[in-house]
Amino acid sequence: MPTDDYEGEATELLETYDFLMKYIILGEAGSGKSCLLHHFTHNSFKDHSQHTIGVEFSSRTVKLGEKRIKLQLWDTAGQERFRSVTRSYYRGAAGALLVYDITNRDSFTNLSRWLADARALASPHLVAVLVGNKSDKDDEREVEWAEASRWAAENDVHFLEASSLTGDNVEAPFLLAARSILLSIESGALDPEKAGSGVSYGDRALRRVNSSSRLSFGSLSGGRKKGTIKLKAKGWIPGTNKCC
Amino acid sequence: MSSPVVSPSASSLHFDKKARAPQFRNPVSLRLYKVLGTNFEDEATREALQTLSELYASSSTVKGKETLRNLEEDDIEEEWLKPTGFVADELLTEAVPGESAARARKNLRRDMERKLAEGSHQFLKAFGEVDQKLEELQQHVAAMHASCDEAETQLKLTNESSAMLLERAGSLSEERQEVENRKSIVTLFLARFTLNDEEVEAMTSRDIPVGKRFFEAMDKTERIRTDCRVLMAGEDGPTQAGLDIMASTSSHLEQGYEKIFRWCSYEFRQMGRDMQVEVGMTMREAIRRLRKRPELLTESLTSLSQARQATLMSSFLTALTRGGPSGLPRPIELHAHDPMRYVGDMLAWVHQAIAAEREFLESLFGLQADGRMVGSVRVFEQKSEEEDWIRELMDLAVGKLCVPLKIRVQQTIRSQESSIISYKIANLLQFYMITMRRTIGDTAVLSTTLNEITQVAYKVFYDSIETQGRALLRATLDLDDPSLTPPLAILDHAQILREVMNVYESSLLGDEGEAEQTAGFQRILDVTMDPAIEMCTNNSEEKKRLRPRWDREVYVLNCLSYLQSVLEPFPFTSQKRQTLQEVVDEHVVRLTEEHYQNIMVDAGIAQVAETCLKHDGGEPMSRIPATLPTILQTALRNFSLWLSGLEVVQSPRLSQLTAQRLHIKIHQAALERMARSYQVICEQVKKPENKYEAASTLLGSERPFGQVNLLWQIFGLEGDNVNASQP
Repeated sequence: MPTDDYEGEATELLETYDFLMKYIILGEAGSGKSCLLHHFTHNSFKDHSQHTIGVEFSSRTVKLGEKRIKLQLWDTAGQERFRSVTRSYYRGAAGALLVYDITNRDSFTNLSRWLADARALASPHLVAVLVGNKSDKDDEREVEWAEASRWAAENDVHFLEASSLTGDNVEAPFLLAARSILLSIESGALDPEKAGSGVSYGDRALRRVNSSSRLSFGSLSGGRKKGTIKLKAKGWIPGTNKCC
Repeated sequence: MSSPVVSPSASSLHFDKKARAPQFRNPVSLRLYKVLGTNFEDEATREALQTLSELYASSSTVKGKETLRNLEEDDIEEEWLKPTGFVADELLTEAVPGESAARARKNLRRDMERKLAEGSHQFLKAFGEVDQKLEELQQHVAAMHASCDEAETQLKLTNESSAMLLERAGSLSEERQEVENRKSIVTLFLARFTLNDEEVEAMTSRDIPVGKRFFEAMDKTERIRTDCRVLMAGEDGPTQAGLDIMASTSSHLEQGYEKIFRWCSYEFRQMGRDMQVEVGMTMREAIRRLRKRPELLTESLTSLSQARQATLMSSFLTALTRGGPSGLPRPIELHAHDPMRYVGDMLAWVHQAIAAEREFLESLFGLQADGRMVGSVRVFEQKSEEEDWIRELMDLAVGKLCVPLKIRVQQTIRSQESSIISYKIANLLQFYMITMRRTIGDTAVLSTTLNEITQVAYKVFYDSIETQGRALLRATLDLDDPSLTPPLAILDHAQILREVMNVYESSLLGDEGEAEQTAGFQRILDVTMDPAIEMCTNNSEEKKRLRPRWDREVYVLNCLSYLQSVLEPFPFTSQKRQTLQEVVDEHVVRLTEEHYQNIMVDAGIAQVAETCLKHDGGEPMSRIPATLPTILQTALRNFSLWLSGLEVVQSPRLSQLTAQRLHIKIHQAALERMARSYQVICEQVKKPENKYEAASTLLGSERPFGQVNLLWQIFGLEGDNVNASQP
């Protein structure tokens, strides 16, 4: 059908997606949450960053395997006085990035409180990733990798270190969380159909689902692949969509 | 020729003998020699002779035969033929040698001639035949010639007639070429200026979905119209064809736009049902095109707006009352008992909905996100038409949420008893009001609603603290409480104020100037502090009246300094603190005066000092009853005693002051005045016109022996300061 071709081409141009996930970014003031997010969405370091006021929002679509995932990112203020405001945004988040500054021990010691808050208020299947930011300042390090790693294991969260200055590992925490969430969708633990899970189907996924039954959607990694590749090829070779 | 050849050969031997004869010079002999010398050995001669011999070898028989044949009848011929061989052999063998040669010599010429004649005859016969054949041939050639001529004529005729045909054909083919050209031009024209059936179908039929094919047809129509307009703008003016094209394309185009409109409206109604929506390429393209028909765009956007309103509304109500699946996350209303969380959750939900809505609309209008983070400051310049649309649609989409939001928030605000919570809510609302203004603009319904709610919240808060202030004013002091510390009412009030100040301080972003910070809290301070100050000062009068021994001044100062200490940590209270300081200073002056009087009385020199100060130089002082030398001496003794007492160091009365600083300040000020009064006494006593006998003895009998400097030292004051401050 010509219509499909048209839309198929658009798949590459427009940011359509299979899933939409809501993330929150938490951590003490000055741990570099906004910079991390800025690097993730703009691919550059945010110079002269001010303290975040309340919450700020941005989004980005990432590709994970053959699935496109749109991330709605809520960057929260770390300052205590915004706590009551920012907590309201935890509601129904699917993923949480717990950010601390490896050169500042205080930003690490309070993590339990942040995590507990997030677990209490966000989606019941919240996937948390601990991010040790400012990994470029290794000589000023106050929190050892091993210690943070242990804490992460004890609290059942993923862990890695990143640098929003150099961009090192900046995308990894976002993708790590997305992968975890996808896995729990595939295993059936998480149902994007339900509101408040922090995840919902994108138009791209729904379009495919419409043709088959909803139940068969369980096998995410199956049949979908074909379609995606086909569409991509069309996008790559100009003029091929004039087949009919 | 045979004869001369034959004859020499036959007689050669005879002539050889003669040749050897001596007659050499004889021409005959020469001739003979020559003949004899002739060599017949050459090939030609031999062959000639051979031929001749062969002729005759058989010619004898042949001759005979022929002779016979000539003579006799043909029937005998066969008889002769058979034995010929034998006869010849017999003749050759039996005949006398030379017989045939002689005969041959005789008949040679005849034979030859006969043979020649025979040959000629044969030739003749043969040629006759040839002639006959040739004649036949000539006939044929002639016939052919005739046919050829005929054919040529025919051809000529045909040629003539076909030339016409050719000419005709040529002109026809030219015509045809022309027609072809015209046809291709017409086809091209039609292809360029008209829509084919498929395109028309794509544009008008409901069966063809809005998509690439449809958009291509639309593009073509637009292009036709542009081209046509260019053509019609030519010198010849609009042609009928041009007008027709414009008319037909215009109707198709309108149908096309109608189709887009219908499709968009349908899609909008569909997509309106989902909370999170995204926009396909086709939709974006459709909207882009519809912008050329603003009335249709407006209408379809209206349906979108309605759908979004309804969706957002129901999602909001779901989030409020039902929460997520199996109750997680919990419904927002579950936390209605926690006003901060309740209001904060609602507003955060709205804020998040706005962010999603904004993304949706940006992609609908094909705007690249400007990379700004939602929530951070948005600059509202009149960027583009799209921005206007987006703003309007955002406003409409979230505008509907205002009603349930407003009801709930107002309910929450009104049900608050604590002014601190009221203040917190008001602050939260203000925070969101500012955030929303930045996000969706000042004029948006949500912004104005938030503004309204914020005003209400502040009003409730102010009402609450004003009520509190009035209650404070009405509060009576416990008459039986002898303590001089601030009463419980003040402490409670100050505590509330302290918390409110904490909230205010935390709401500051740090980039406001001091004046702005102060201004932001001025009203609250006025409302809370003024009644507190008034209560401290005024209500105590009543108690003082009923309990005269109760130290009101100390009590007031205690209360005021307590209030000062409450304001102290907050920089934005500096102005109020200054006002308060003025009140305090006033009371300090009053207390200092009182204290001075008290210590003068205690020290016993009050009356003396008063008399000295009032003395106008008329009557000598030693004559005035109050300053008679004896009385003076008593007074000085009492003073000396007092100086050795504890009160010089600290006043028991002033030690009731909670602020040690004030105690010292007031006490020292009083002592200073005392020292100065003593100095006046000394000066007056020393004056000769006051007629004191042994004035220096009188003064020197008791401490501080008339030495003011010593008194300063006793009081622990800096003499210089005092001297300097002396008028």
